Amino acid sequence: MRVVHYINQFFGGLGGEEHANIPQEVRAGAVGPGRLLTQLLPDTAEVVATVICGDNYAAEHLGQVTATVLAQVTDAHADLLVAGPCFQAGRYGIAAGAVCAAVHQQLGVPSVTAMSRENPGVDLYREQVYIVDSGDDVGQMRDVLARMALLGTKLANGEDPSSPAEMGYFPKGLLRSQFVDKTAAERLTDMLLAKLRGQPYEPEVPIEIAEPAAPPLPVADLSKATVALVTDGGLVPKGNPDAIPLAFAKVWGAYNIADKEALNAEEYDVSHGGYDNRPVRTDPHRLLPVDVLRGLERDGVIGGLHPEFLSTTGNLNPINNSRRMGREMAQRLLNAGVDAVILTST
Amino acid sequence: MALSLAFHPVNRILSSDKTNLEGEVLTVNINELRDHLLEDHRLESVDLEIVYPGDRCRVGYVFDVLEPRAKAPGDGPDFPGILGPLAPAGRGTTHVLRGAAVTVVDGGQPGGELGYASRRGGVSKVLEMSGPAAEASAYGGLAHLVVVPHAFPEVTRHAVLNSLRLASVKAAVYLARAAAGKTPSYTEVFDLDSSALEQRATAPRVSYIGQVHGHQHGTETDEHILYGGNTVGMMPVLLHPNEWLDGAVVISYSWGARGLETYFHQNHPIILDLYRLHDAGEIVLAGAVATVSSDRRDEIDRNSMMAANIAKWDLKADGVVLTKYVGGAPHTDMFETARVCEELGIKTVALVSDTALDRRWESATLMNIPGVDAVVNHSEGVDVSWPANQVERVVAGNPEVVSKLAQLRELVAVNVCGVANNQGASRLRSMLV
Repeated sequence: MRVVHYINQFFGGLGGEEHANIPQEVRAGAVGPGRLLTQLLPDTAEVVATVICGDNYAAEHLGQVTATVLAQVTDAHADLLVAGPCFQAGRYGIAAGAVCAAVHQQLGVPSVTAMSRENPGVDLYREQVYIVDSGDDVGQMRDVLARMALLGTKLANGEDPSSPAEMGYFPKGLLRSQFVDKTAAERLTDMLLAKLRGQPYEPEVPIEIAEPAAPPLPVADLSKATVALVTDGGLVPKGNPDAIPLAFAKVWGAYNIADKEALNAEEYDVSHGGYDNRPVRTDPHRLLPVDVLRGLERDGVIGGLHPEFLSTTGNLNPINNSRRMGREMAQRLLNAGVDAVILTST
Repeated sequence: MALSLAFHPVNRILSSDKTNLEGEVLTVNINELRDHLLEDHRLESVDLEIVYPGDRCRVGYVFDVLEPRAKAPGDGPDFPGILGPLAPAGRGTTHVLRGAAVTVVDGGQPGGELGYASRRGGVSKVLEMSGPAAEASAYGGLAHLVVVPHAFPEVTRHAVLNSLRLASVKAAVYLARAAAGKTPSYTEVFDLDSSALEQRATAPRVSYIGQVHGHQHGTETDEHILYGGNTVGMMPVLLHPNEWLDGAVVISYSWGARGLETYFHQNHPIILDLYRLHDAGEIVLAGAVATVSSDRRDEIDRNSMMAANIAKWDLKADGVVLTKYVGGAPHTDMFETARVCEELGIKTVALVSDTALDRRWESATLMNIPGVDAVVNHSEGVDVSWPANQVERVVAGNPEVVSKLAQLRELVAVNVCGVANNQGASRLRSMLV
């Protein structure tokens, strides 16, 4: 196993803050903490090259430094890049995160670094890079390097590391499917027994209790308000002009109903894979009550029905994507002067 | 209530002029079985194929997988309410052909629907018999008799599905009847009252609350699910663990019921594990509750309240294991039930399935309810795939599916029957990393 190591000027033995402007340089073999790392890696492993760079220089020339590391990893036919540990050093952490991410993404070579929780490199790179939690005590160098060596070896061997808690890295916030020894049934009964006995257990999904959302203020005078209908139930005009898919929709549509007193079932279709569409196909008002809203409009209960409805498919939609579509829809309605929205779901 | 399962290992199925079990070899009179299945006049023809572990063979789209089982003569009807007359399941002796399976293929209808895949357009449940996908599947190591019923073109879709169900249970019972009168290799007795272990007196009482169907995609009038009933309007009911294991319940049709097969009702991993703990004196298996998920808010609330009430006041459970039907929406019913259970002081653990396409934690956070914090996450395998083996044989219900399956280059775990499972059989876990 061939390893390239990235460290800053301080750990490279070139000096402290006053030498933070030193450009990157490459040394053959291990330097500074790399020597300890060599001892902690398996016997077959070897630190073949070390890239040392001043923290300021790296911050100001990140592209150049990254290119040097990429070239070293390529030339050395490295199986793994190790950067740091960086502890609390922010510029060092950001540079380490950047070179690790680049090497993994551009070369497909695994990488590992280590930082303390407060290091800004953690939030910037935790999704892309395995970052071992180093704590902020440089005295723990040996322990931190040992965990980096363990994780790095696993990655270099093409194995999937076990959970963040077991391996000591910051959760990436990602999901990964993995075959495990116990069936779901066995894990369920294990977990229930632990819960019944007051022993600790680890849920397999993130449990974060969200604060309840504050209800918006009521519409001041509904009789003067323009009301729009928005649905995530997948109602589309026949032919589905925006090609809204049955699930995982990344698009939404706006459809004109200005001259419609009611919706004719023959003119509409449903693109949604998450519920029994038959009642809506038979009568679209089951999802989008245009008929009722026209009545309220005539009776003066509402000021008017907005001349278009917005629609997408909520089925199996990732939250990020739903948020984006929600913002886009809200902006379109705001631009059109809509005062209130009725959201209908399934 | 004591159920005795008499296990007869089977490692080969051979076509023969006589249906018989000799040692571990099951011979099948294919013509006799075909005639038996064609007594259903909705069927024009039936293909019967035998496939083994390691065969370079692919089968699709799978309607259901069952373990061949038959009641000992005089011990009650098979699949009561579905095949046999209505009578309680879960008592007496049932012969089991261990190592064998009946796999029924949905061929759709000529010129019409192509089976379960048709509504989504993609590839549906595939049984793979060789390569890494087969190794990852609970069914890759079994000897299968594959049944491919072809209905007459004029038969309506719901009746076609009903005929597939009937063929599935008829074939499973037909095969296992070969074991009647034979000495089983071993027997297991399931009896909650069999022994009075001292330590059980203080052990926690645990129940299982499982959804046997979800009404998310509609339910056919003639759909057999629980004792032949279609579960429309059903409220939670006590279903003895033995009834669950012994043919009272089969899977429903809904969209191919991804990650659910009758095989794992017959071999329900959670019920079997709770029985193991009960027999070891670590828990009292206090009984099981069958429920459904609904697409109506009032039903969700009512069913959740009633299931929790049964667990609390009838079963006097200290803890419950909850599972859901296939899909995303049934999580709602399961978590609402868990919430009410926790409110009543019952500790809960729930099995969710992960289909998050963006593979981010936030998309896996389905429900955040104080107290409902013990959750097991099985992956449906959207991010796991294998290169598809070149196969020599494809068994499918129509030419279009044959050519589609023959040309597959990649098998995504979500489509490989027996990898992901909502009944607790799956080892594919969704990890937080």
